Amino acid sequence: MPTFYLDNEPIEFEPGENVLAAALRHHREIPHYCYHPGLQVTAQCRMCLVDVVDMGNGRGMPKLQTSCSTAAAEGMKVDSQSEKVKHGQILVNEFLLINHPLDCPICDQAGECDLQDFSFKYGSGQSEMEYEKRVYGLRDVGTFIVLERNRCIHCSRCERFTRDVTGTHDFGMFLRTHELTFDTFEDHQITDKFQGNLADICPVGCIMNRDWRFKKRAWKLNKTESICPSCSTGCNITVEHHKNRVFRLKPRENQEVNRWWMCDEGRIGFKQLNDRVTRLAEPQARVKGQLRSVVWETAYEAIVTRLKEIGATGAQAFGIIDTHATNEEMHLFKKLMQEGLGAETVYFPLRRGEQQVQPPREDMDPFIYTLIQTDKSPNTRGALAQGLTGDEDDKRLLAALQAEPKVAVICGAPLEDNAAVCKAAAKAELVIQLGTFRGPWTEVADVVLPGYTYAEKQGSFTNKADRVQRINAGIRPAEGARDQVRILQELLAALGKPQKTVDAPDVFDAMASEQGAFKGMSWDKLGSLGGVLPGK
Amino acid sequence: MVEEKQILTKNMRDSKYSGDLKAYKNAGGFNALDTVIRKMKPEQVLELVKASDLRGRGGAGFPTGVKWSFMPKDTGKPSYLICNADESEPGTFKDHLIMMRDPHLFLEGMIIGCYTIDCNTGYIYIRGESQTAIAIMEKAIGELYKDKLLGQNVMGSKYSLDLYVHPGAGAYICGEETALLDSLEGKRGQPRIKPPFPAVSGYNSCPTSVNNVETLACLPYIINEGPEAWKAMGTPNNSGTHMVCISGHVEKPGVYEVEMGVSLLEMINDLAGGVRNGKKLKAVIPGGASANILKADEADVPYEFDALMKAGTMMGSAAVIVFDEDTDMVEVASRTIRFFNHESCGQCTPCREGTFWLKNMIRDFLDNAGDEAKMQRVERVSANLIGTTICPFGDATGGPMGTFIGKFPEDFRKHFA
Repeated sequence: MPTFYLDNEPIEFEPGENVLAAALRHHREIPHYCYHPGLQVTAQCRMCLVDVVDMGNGRGMPKLQTSCSTAAAEGMKVDSQSEKVKHGQILVNEFLLINHPLDCPICDQAGECDLQDFSFKYGSGQSEMEYEKRVYGLRDVGTFIVLERNRCIHCSRCERFTRDVTGTHDFGMFLRTHELTFDTFEDHQITDKFQGNLADICPVGCIMNRDWRFKKRAWKLNKTESICPSCSTGCNITVEHHKNRVFRLKPRENQEVNRWWMCDEGRIGFKQLNDRVTRLAEPQARVKGQLRSVVWETAYEAIVTRLKEIGATGAQAFGIIDTHATNEEMHLFKKLMQEGLGAETVYFPLRRGEQQVQPPREDMDPFIYTLIQTDKSPNTRGALAQGLTGDEDDKRLLAALQAEPKVAVICGAPLEDNAAVCKAAAKAELVIQLGTFRGPWTEVADVVLPGYTYAEKQGSFTNKADRVQRINAGIRPAEGARDQVRILQELLAALGKPQKTVDAPDVFDAMASEQGAFKGMSWDKLGSLGGVLPGK
Repeated sequence: MVEEKQILTKNMRDSKYSGDLKAYKNAGGFNALDTVIRKMKPEQVLELVKASDLRGRGGAGFPTGVKWSFMPKDTGKPSYLICNADESEPGTFKDHLIMMRDPHLFLEGMIIGCYTIDCNTGYIYIRGESQTAIAIMEKAIGELYKDKLLGQNVMGSKYSLDLYVHPGAGAYICGEETALLDSLEGKRGQPRIKPPFPAVSGYNSCPTSVNNVETLACLPYIINEGPEAWKAMGTPNNSGTHMVCISGHVEKPGVYEVEMGVSLLEMINDLAGGVRNGKKLKAVIPGGASANILKADEADVPYEFDALMKAGTMMGSAAVIVFDEDTDMVEVASRTIRFFNHESCGQCTPCREGTFWLKNMIRDFLDNAGDEAKMQRVERVSANLIGTTICPFGDATGGPMGTFIGKFPEDFRKHFA
């Protein structure tokens, strides 16, 4: 691979790559505002200045160059630390700040603001500007975002994003010189489902996520790597939370899945995580028609006793799991149903996903539009990989329920909106639900076992392209609830089938050592970016 | 004694010359095109232009033949020749004169240029304010189509060419070649980052050459008389004649055609009649508002690309602006920075914010609220504009602003609080 030298440190680059891109890939910081790896290079902020001492042919460049637009060359020597470069950075930063309101104390971007960070690190800390600053005023431009233009540093990322990535051309450049402004046309409102990305790529607090404004200071947030459960794409995200409350979801770069983006539907998916009202927080058992709180041991005992009384075998045990469950839960649930209760089939509602939104133009990269899938669950492919029985139109499932099974075990909240299924299953003598929130299933369940939400547990999802990706425990779980993996193992143990595994990584590795779709994978190797199922 | 030459201005010197096709042909017009189309291959014309050392008259002074030789062949894409007739540099009015008085001289050159780079479509980008010039050009092009000098099979040859006039919307920045291309494509006129240069990826990402009106108007003479005759005029590396626009405090402002390398001071005195009302010379801007100003004692320089570069300024678009001893340089600076602030496209940070800041500071001096610190600040901010932007606009603002205050500090001190 060709190599250039940044401050005498060798940096390998792809042919055609620019200095800044290669440097960032090697985790070298060069301050920049307008450059974004997902957008076209415009070199207009002028912050990423470097001194090209040697172009690779023995000659240097007389002026400082913007590293974002300078092609790397074999043997090139680039200086990013010299006094000349530092002076260049100071003056560009000074120009950026003369009209910036410096309202960091009331700006939600503070703490994660490129302008703030780079001004502290590379700026002079002084200003000689003594005139009235430019004032644009607030604009209501979208259903999901607000535009506070006074803070704008004119990096044009928003314009390039709506031009090249979404193709909607919502943002335009208006006027010129110091009156230049990025805005929507007249009173045009942005209504597409990718507005949140505009707030993400805005290097300052100019475009803000409407929902996130004035909620929490950015530096207080704890961040947990996870996977968006709102559709089968499985966008990589960070769950950002503080004091056990989730404040927002942000996309995490994964070139194989979502690149840098995610959709707004996914972004608002966190709301349920903060729901304390319908959250199931302790095991419950139905006594004389009423659900009563019980302790876990009592719940397990009751289940074992009732199962013995009923003596259900084979087709008399009915199991259904929803596709929000992790691979590990599906694996254990299948074990529970087949080894513990002797059921033949384990059902799940199979929804074939397709792209939900079409791009506005044909001559553009439609990538971002492939993110929103009609299958609104994260693990349909995982259920298929486990060999569970998928049912596309719920007919086989209803037929199995017509046979009036004696025991029904419900994992999660599958087919909640299908009253016929709930009603048919309710006829079973024993209905057990492993759930997280109160819903139709809770109404018909005889025993309710509260589990964790995806932000509270470890596990893995298999996305639409058979990529297995990890979710991690971030917020503290509801007191009294237990990890589904633990509940399923405890049930198996109570039924005389104790497992050697403990937690989700354990279960995953055990699953990978058995024959099956996951054979040969390992939890550790999945890493933060996941891995594709073998043979896919 | 500096004398006027009559190479480009030969026809328009005659007050009876109407500028239409018949008059131009009677004056020997289109002989050069005839030679080119019938007897020469494009490569031969290119060699001829290279041999003449003709340098672009738009401002940068880049050798025209070299520029054309950079254009890749066999890309499968069409090539374009675009004539930059935006002429927006303050103080410049030579291209306008050529288009108004002798449009066919320029068009003949343009057709030769198109033939040389093998392009079948050419655009003439004229600033929208020049309504008369646009009408004259449209009429002249119509005459050429009628006379089979444009369109399918030019002069009965296999070569075909279409020319279009494109009016701009009057933005200064659209005189910068890449901004011009954006504007021509129907986008907001903003300079592009280079590379890729227009020769490789210009108009609609095709190989493109952008040339000035006067540059193209030189071609018929070079073809007719040969490159040696052209090089016999001027100085080495600065060949031929040049149309100079002299304006400001002189007796006879106007366009004068001179050989390259004559003395700037003599040109002002001999041709333009010296500083008006017998006043003394204070300063000269030799190449339009974006060239650094020269003090009176610096003005005796050869008027050519290289010598002016050495003197710390540039020939630019050959717009000589003369200031007499009564001129207040703060007002000159104020007028200049107001122009540049108004015309900055706004994409690069230093230019967008710097011109705004400088304008405010210079206004303070006009309001007699200057001080020593502010003077230093103007110099510092001006210096910070130089070399930090995508296009040369930063240099064009920072350079002159720096020299106004650096060379005439006493004028600024008069405006202290």
